[in-house]
Amino acid sequence: MPSEETKERITKLVEVGRAALHYGWIPLIIYIGYTRSTPQPTLIKLISPLA
Amino acid sequence: MASPAFPPAKDGFNDPSPSSIPEAPKPSYTSAFSPLTSVYSRFSQWRKSLDLPNPGTVENLQKEVKSTHLTNFMFDGGRADLTKSLSMNPAFQVTHSFTLGSQVSTPSYNFGAVFANNDVFLQGSVDHEGNVSARMNQGWAEHSITKIQTQLSSQAGHSMIQLEHDYQGQDYSLNAKAVNPWPADLTGIYIGSYFQSVTKNLALGVETLYQRPTPDMSEVTTSYLAKLTSDDKNWIATAQVQPSGILQATYWQKLHEKVEVAADLQVMAAPQRRDAIATLGAKYDLRMATFRAQLDSTGKVSALLEQRFAPTFAFLVSGEIDHFKASSSWFITNPSKLTFN
Repeated sequence: MPSEETKERITKLVEVGRAALHYGWIPLIIYIGYTRSTPQPTLIKLISPLA
Repeated sequence: MASPAFPPAKDGFNDPSPSSIPEAPKPSYTSAFSPLTSVYSRFSQWRKSLDLPNPGTVENLQKEVKSTHLTNFMFDGGRADLTKSLSMNPAFQVTHSFTLGSQVSTPSYNFGAVFANNDVFLQGSVDHEGNVSARMNQGWAEHSITKIQTQLSSQAGHSMIQLEHDYQGQDYSLNAKAVNPWPADLTGIYIGSYFQSVTKNLALGVETLYQRPTPDMSEVTTSYLAKLTSDDKNWIATAQVQPSGILQATYWQKLHEKVEVAADLQVMAAPQRRDAIATLGAKYDLRMATFRAQLDSTGKVSALLEQRFAPTFAFLVSGEIDHFKASSSWFITNPSKLTFN
């Protein structure tokens, strides 16, 4: 069984990872998609629903 | 003196010509297992010679029945999806989706992004309240996939994560899942399943669920599965039994190229609760429409018509009459889908 200190550290780590995923996941997909797409789309096409 | 005589002797030892010393057999530690490995290879050869099909995954055991019944397709209100395909290979698309005018849920906006190439599938969506759902599939080999699925909410206690690995062998499927595992004390829900084809038509499997809500509380439940498929795959019968007294049996048949019928029976015979529901449904695929009708033993009759006017625009009418409660409800909805390239 891990010690209390380790447990606290794990909790903090999971919390940070969760927050990073929460705010970073969609930007990450858009970044990966934007850089790997062929042909590369224009930025306005990416954001606006109507362009 | 002996020392000058040493170097030539050493050279001769260090530099044996391949012809002079015959190749010794490999060290014996592997040959100790050779009876086992030869039995294993003979077993796998025999298994290959049976030529059994892959039984499909446990998760998709009732897939055909679920797509015939309309329970999963009931929908209320208006909905518009604006999908923009920005790239085909690798696939990259963004979706703006709006729902409005539903009786059960409030209007909502949802933004989604999908990226997929041959091995990786990434999907994310965020709604107007800031809840993010993420999905990632990574394929390692042809039949080995790791799936991660999470729901992230700023409200405490609404987040969840599911880690899953799926392996499909030649005639069996293995799956391991962990729902909300907590690394500090290993609490969470763990599910493992094994599904094996026994003959060309019959597959049997087990699914074990290990629940550990707190470190000093744990529970194991095992359920048994069976799937019977006809030779021409025109009908499928499945059964899932939990020894605590829950049985779910389904039957699906393709009557015609465009007509499918499905029956589903759920029996609960636990000492504290006895209950059973039977559901009968049919699905017709017409050229521009899909019609589903369903009747169940609680007295509900429901129907759903999906009329497609264009590939991107559809109109749904669904209705439900509860004969025992003498109530009825009707929904007319138009989920429209606009795609831009």
